[in-house]
Amino acid sequence: MSGGAANAGAALLEVRDLKVHLRVGGAIVRAVDGVDLTVMPGESIGIVGESGSGKSTLARGILKLMANVELAELQGDVRFQGKDLTRIADAELRALRRHGGFSMIFQDPLGYLNPTKRVGTQVAEALGGKWFAATRRRVEQLLEEAGLPASAQLARRFPHELSGGQRQRVMIAIALASEPALLFADEPTTALDATVQLQVLKTLGRLHRDRNMAMVVITHDLGVVAELCDRVYVMRSGKVVESGDTVELFENPRHPYAAQLIELSTRHRRPGPSAPGAAPSVPASPAEAR
Amino acid sequence: MLRFVLFRLLHAIPLLIAVILVILLMLQFIPGDPVQAMVGDFPVSPEFRAAITQQYHLDDPFPVRVYSYFVNLLHGDFGYSYQFQRPVWDLIAESAPRTILLTLVGFLIAVPFGVLVGTVSGTTRSSRVDHFWTSTALVAYAIPTFWLGQLLVLVLAVHLGWFPTQGMGPLVSRAHGLSWFLERAHYIALPALAFAVHEGTRFARIMRASVADTLGQGYIVTARAKGLSRGAIIRGHVLRNSSLPLVTVAGYAFGAALGGAVLLETVFTWPGLGLLLVQAVRMRDNMTVVGIVIFAAIAVVVINLLVDLLYAALDPRIRGRG
Amino acid sequence: MEPPSTAPGPVRSAWRGFRAALGHMAGTRHGAVGCAILLVLAIVAIFAPLIAPYDPLQQAQASLTPPSMRDLFGTDNTGRDIFSLVIYGTRTSLAIGLGAAFGALVLSGLVGMLAGYFRGPVEAILMRLAELFQTLPVIVVVLFTVALFGSSFWLLLAAIILAIWPVEARLVYGQYLRLRSMDFVAAAKVADMSTIHIMLREILPNAIRPVIVQVALDASVAILIEAGLGFLGLSDPNTVSWGQLLYVAQDYMTIAWWTSFFPGAAICLAVVGLNLFADGLNEILDPRTRGRAGGLQS
Repeated sequence: MSGGAANAGAALLEVRDLKVHLRVGGAIVRAVDGVDLTVMPGESIGIVGESGSGKSTLARGILKLMANVELAELQGDVRFQGKDLTRIADAELRALRRHGGFSMIFQDPLGYLNPTKRVGTQVAEALGGKWFAATRRRVEQLLEEAGLPASAQLARRFPHELSGGQRQRVMIAIALASEPALLFADEPTTALDATVQLQVLKTLGRLHRDRNMAMVVITHDLGVVAELCDRVYVMRSGKVVESGDTVELFENPRHPYAAQLIELSTRHRRPGPSAPGAAPSVPASPAEAR
Repeated sequence: MLRFVLFRLLHAIPLLIAVILVILLMLQFIPGDPVQAMVGDFPVSPEFRAAITQQYHLDDPFPVRVYSYFVNLLHGDFGYSYQFQRPVWDLIAESAPRTILLTLVGFLIAVPFGVLVGTVSGTTRSSRVDHFWTSTALVAYAIPTFWLGQLLVLVLAVHLGWFPTQGMGPLVSRAHGLSWFLERAHYIALPALAFAVHEGTRFARIMRASVADTLGQGYIVTARAKGLSRGAIIRGHVLRNSSLPLVTVAGYAFGAALGGAVLLETVFTWPGLGLLLVQAVRMRDNMTVVGIVIFAAIAVVVINLLVDLLYAALDPRIRGRG
Repeated sequence: MEPPSTAPGPVRSAWRGFRAALGHMAGTRHGAVGCAILLVLAIVAIFAPLIAPYDPLQQAQASLTPPSMRDLFGTDNTGRDIFSLVIYGTRTSLAIGLGAAFGALVLSGLVGMLAGYFRGPVEAILMRLAELFQTLPVIVVVLFTVALFGSSFWLLLAAIILAIWPVEARLVYGQYLRLRSMDFVAAAKVADMSTIHIMLREILPNAIRPVIVQVALDASVAILIEAGLGFLGLSDPNTVSWGQLLYVAQDYMTIAWWTSFFPGAAICLAVVGLNLFADGLNEILDPRTRGRAGGLQS
């Protein structure tokens, strides 16, 4: 994959000095405090850090998908496909989300799917249609592309009737519906079982390659980064402390915090999911057990 | 779903029996002469006393009396009112439909009002609009229904003469067809409105809280990420999911209204169960009082059961189970 | 960003917590107005003989005179001064409201605490009992009791407590269920503290705040029920109460609106005050309602 961050002119997403300050109780929390970030078309980026380092807030700040927080300040320069997202009109922002812009998948697919609607309907909604015969084929295609079995049965199920992995695949199908140029994945596998984790990661990798879709993966798990990302940003306390090529950073971390993260994750975990014997390397198959 | 139905039934039946038992037990503790307590302020001859004592097993121990009462209940026998000189069941059967009618019409106003106001004040971007509705709901909720009824009668019926002051219809009516219907609607308007103000604002408060809760859910973020407009999110996700708790609340309120519309019916002299209960209490006609209270208990338990089943049918998370 | 955890630590003194809550409440709009209304009502009730210009039962005036400087709220059919009656009625309403709320608090606190702490058969029996008493509408329970046993002040109080305790018991029970599994309770158990000590000193102070909200709401329900009973002409005839004034007013309000208007407004004021008080308390207890935490920003 191309890792040329230097060629900033053609960047898909360019973030300069982004600050997201939240009001928590009476105090101001500087969740994101002056972050620079660049994503090239078709590139895959990882943002790593512990929980509370501000990585999720960064993603939501960029995409304007804040929820349940009181925003004290949001400033900086966020250019996506040449448009400034911090000053964009609501209608234009919605248009970007509806088609060809960006999508996002979340850590907790059960909470992020409406429990009272059939999953097929929820995918259809992202296509800008209701449950018409016209969108039906497209819905099934998307579910299949996200690694779910090609059956009309599944689309008629409710979220609670699916397994965790299947739900995350539904989220992926929803995200794909708008044919995004950039997909944000916020801890996409954290809530899943170990074997399912790997399958979902493989699906994401396949979609990234096949669709030439840029990806930003937010995770605390360096194994995920090793599997998916070309470049990495390491965040701590709302700031990027180190960034660079994944392989280089893994081999030769400059910032002590990055070194510590790598050290910790290699001790707790296998060196990476691609290591032999780490997990049965079943391809993302429709037969995923319920 | 079947298992859920069975489970709820197994829960409801013992509850109902226990409620009736407690009611009968309380009758044991009435001070004074039990025969007099049953018939109310009504002269009792010795022969009559003997007949009642035998009929209701007053000389037998408590369990025998309870047993005979339950047997009578199962035969649809709620006892006999010596004040009204009619079987209690006849009185109930005559009054209950009127209460149901009033409650239904009240709900027709209250539910849409509550859903609309709750959703608007829960989703509005203007805190002023929200404050307005929250404060209005608070004050409206604090107005006792019976006082509101008095005020409505005073202003709209007495001074402006737009509505009749009381009752369900004129003493003598020659109206037919549509005009009969309009005449009835004319009489029910004020009591239904008074009922709806109270229940509607309560529903609005619950709906608003429910909407606020829904807005904090992850799937609202997903809906935003899909690029749906505000209106589409409210219609497609907020309204539906927030209404679910209201189904339970409104359903329970319906059951409670069947026995509890006492004050409302008294203000408007609406001849339903509530007014019957008040009349019976005033005349110390305990046979009728107990009959109505037990009927109200049955109505509440049955309706709550139906509401729970309805909720289960509406919420796929429960529907799928069992 | 995860929301900050709001798990309470062991608060040592319930009273201190309550006082702090009162302090914060003055800061919320609803809480401040609610506190002010309740304060005024309390003063009126306590100093009723000093504020009321006439003895409430004195029939010295002409009957059914409209409000004037002499009789602020007019007079009723027997020539009693309605202003004085409303002032004295405050005593009855507040006594019933506070008494019932306090009684229900004690009863439901006991039941909820026992059920929430012990679980097992104790829990099953007590919670079924709560459900039993919750089945019938409050007004029906009260009416039934009054019908059978009469309507003296204490009986009425007992009947209202009997009717309103279950809601609160369930609330206390829920709080105890939640708190029982928390770390500081486990720590107290490890430290070999007595069950009573854990229930009263460790759990109670933390469970009390949401319960106070319910107590305020209970008081408003009790006031409404007492007024309702008075309106039906079934309350204690020997006490002056707002509801009773409305009962009398029924026959005269077409010619004398003031007989109905002022007592009713007094009921509303008390109920609004208690509800605002509860709202303010809720607002400082549940930070979610503070500020408009966004769900729907674009």
